[in-house]
Amino acid sequence: MYAAIRSATLLGTRGAPIVVEAHVGVGIPAFTVVGLPDEGCRESRDRVRAALLSSGLEWPNRRITINLAGTGERKGGAGMDLAIAIGLLVAQEVIHPSAIEKMAFIAELGLDGSLRPTAGMAPLVDAVSDYEVVVAGSAVAESMLARPPYLHGVGTLRELVDVLINNQTWPDIDHFSVNVVEDAIADLADVRGQHSARLALEVAASGFHHMLMVGPPGAGKSMLARRLPGLLPRLTEDEAFTCAMVRSAAGIGSGVTVATSPPFRSPHHSVSMAAMVGGGSSHIRPGELSLASHGVLFLDEMGEFAPTVLDALRQPLEEGVVSIARAHSSVTMPAKCLLIAATNPCPCGAGTPTRCHCTLHAKQRYLRRFSGPLLDRFDVRIHLVKPSTVDLTSDSPGESSAVVAQRVAHVHRVSLERQGCLNSAISAEQLDDVAPLSRDAMVWLRQKLDEGHLSGRGYHRIRRVARTLADMHGEHEVIKSEWVETAISMRVSVVTQAEFH
Amino acid sequence: MEQLPEWAYNAALASMPLQTPLRLRRLIGLGAAGHVWEMLSNNERPLDGIPDDVWRAWQSCGQAHLHGVTEQCISAGVSVVSVRDQGYPDVLLSDPEAPAVLFLRGNSAVLNNRRVGIVGTRNATQRGKYFARELGAALAAEGVCVVSGLARGIDVESHVGAMAQENGCGPVAVVASGPDVVYPREHHRIWAQVARNGCLVSEAPPGTVPEPFRFPMRNRIIAGLSEVLVVVESQSKGGSMITVREALKRDVMVMAVPGSPGVPASEGTNDLLRDGCAPVTEVVDVLLALGLHHRNGSVASIERDAAADDEREVLRAMGRDSCSVDEVALRASLPVVHAAVLLGRLEAKGWVANSGGWWETLIV
Repeated sequence: MYAAIRSATLLGTRGAPIVVEAHVGVGIPAFTVVGLPDEGCRESRDRVRAALLSSGLEWPNRRITINLAGTGERKGGAGMDLAIAIGLLVAQEVIHPSAIEKMAFIAELGLDGSLRPTAGMAPLVDAVSDYEVVVAGSAVAESMLARPPYLHGVGTLRELVDVLINNQTWPDIDHFSVNVVEDAIADLADVRGQHSARLALEVAASGFHHMLMVGPPGAGKSMLARRLPGLLPRLTEDEAFTCAMVRSAAGIGSGVTVATSPPFRSPHHSVSMAAMVGGGSSHIRPGELSLASHGVLFLDEMGEFAPTVLDALRQPLEEGVVSIARAHSSVTMPAKCLLIAATNPCPCGAGTPTRCHCTLHAKQRYLRRFSGPLLDRFDVRIHLVKPSTVDLTSDSPGESSAVVAQRVAHVHRVSLERQGCLNSAISAEQLDDVAPLSRDAMVWLRQKLDEGHLSGRGYHRIRRVARTLADMHGEHEVIKSEWVETAISMRVSVVTQAEFH
Repeated sequence: MEQLPEWAYNAALASMPLQTPLRLRRLIGLGAAGHVWEMLSNNERPLDGIPDDVWRAWQSCGQAHLHGVTEQCISAGVSVVSVRDQGYPDVLLSDPEAPAVLFLRGNSAVLNNRRVGIVGTRNATQRGKYFARELGAALAAEGVCVVSGLARGIDVESHVGAMAQENGCGPVAVVASGPDVVYPREHHRIWAQVARNGCLVSEAPPGTVPEPFRFPMRNRIIAGLSEVLVVVESQSKGGSMITVREALKRDVMVMAVPGSPGVPASEGTNDLLRDGCAPVTEVVDVLLALGLHHRNGSVASIERDAAADDEREVLRAMGRDSCSVDEVALRASLPVVHAAVLLGRLEAKGWVANSGGWWETLIV
């Protein structure tokens, strides 16, 4: 009359183990799901009923109560269908409890009794990997990302019941293995000219400094941004695993592969707050911020994004994680990405000051959409101009990504050895130790501070970028004035174009 | 009824609702302002051709209006002169469209000097702004009063230049809003500075907000106050062109600074040159037009630190073009980092300016 079956539900990017309790008792025929189910869970009833009947099994015409026991969180998704069906079969004594004692079930049921994968197979399987996990045959590859010791993939409910009742052998899953792929990333050699932008890009990659590019259409902003993942080091095994889990939880792409290249996410500017930072009405899904973790988040046309969406990025960027708090639950997801944004300098986008017809007011209104605190997050802010035709047609290609990536990897190694983090993450207290300034550099910075060109926060950020620049040029000790000056030139003011008199 | 000074009645008449320059001139022409005010208080209608609703609005201005305006003028430190007063600028007396009442902040005696109007677009290029600043500085050093409008761009730069000179002649700013209403707001410091060193002039009583129609009207006063009007940069249509038309009506000499063809900020000035305006290619040209200078004399300019040798090399390489950092590096055969550093130093010294990634040299 009673059964307890293990399954899992998705909380953000992580799975949480739960127990599906089924009770079949005397009373008026009814089917109730308790234990904070969401709408998808409630619909299980009809799917499970149809699947059982289609598989030639019996639907108990009695009072059925299903309890989703486990965390106090709201449970979502259709991944518990199979556990409910098995629970009913065990409660009806069709299957013996000992047969499923060490098992967990994660699959959605089709009306014909077939098993289907559900979003987030990898984190779900990970949550119950101490047990023998039964999933849909088509979900085996994605589930393998979690590297569970025991995994079974079956095609239909009937097949599964046959195994459990008649001791038939499990279908073979050996031929599945995790596919490691390298995404094809465009090469930096394709970028002609743009020497200062290339330098800025290398700085961004070397120190993991967030970067803002201001330039007219056709200046190559997107082209540069798309090449940034190619400059970053390959993902470590752990990072690649995290990325794959997030992708699986978001239910996007071919979840069957682990990519070793850093992810590149470029959400359209109409993206909603929930899609950007994560969230959602029923269960919490990871957003673009988490999907770009350990990689690059590119915001093209930053001015077109909703200001609230942009401002929501601030805290996660600082902390490397995004926390979504709800009345019932709070979920933390990774958000450690390199932000690179692009915007036009003004509404007309003409580019050259002599060609632009925008009034100062129009320009200010256009750029005022970025809040000061958000702009402050960008350590590197550069103006891009359209490359000259000479550069575009010149035969000599620039340095290739591989060459630059080698230097970037070197800076990463040096900075991790020196201070245990990349240069953009150096704390203000640490700066004097790991980024000491030469006398000239100090004087120059003091002067900029006195003239009011630099805020207190800007001061620290300049020093971090200068540290990266010095590291890039093989100077790992005291920072020369030259690097501080270059760092300042890479932090152009974007908004204060009104001249205060 | 206590008697207020005459200026208070002038101010009260000028700030009545539905007032226009023409109506005000006719009212002031009737006689002493106190007397006119009394006539209005007695519901008399001493002028023809003024609509009924205007009379009603005027006559509903009671003592409260009079005292309110008077207090506002006193608290804002604004003095009021009418065409009948001694303190009214002589140069405007002969003007056909002279404002009957002026609101002043500062020392209107600067208008007794030679006067040059400097006008131009708000959307100026960096070099245009620099030229306006240099011109302002040179004129002020020669004891010439710079007359402009304190708008963004060319206007404000000419004032900044004029006041960069110690012991230079204070500038005159003709503004469209009330002399105590700073517009645009980012210019609040320079407003105070002009009121201190020179004179803020407005036709509008204190507290008047800068409504769009007031700007073209203000331009006629700039034209009326100028002996020579210099247009530094202007689009083919715009406020500066209105000032030019007003100047031509008054037989004021108009000069224009030539610009590259196809640059929007120079279309208007190039049109003027084609129509026969005298060109201004260096500051001396304006001084020559005033008869104040000869070509070999040295002209005062804004001081800045000398450029180092390598920096001068960069300036030479840039010439008069707008360059990106990459172009500067290419032309001067320098690594990008080095070029960026030198440009940063030159910017700090005031030799180059950057707008939207384009660098321009500030050399006249």
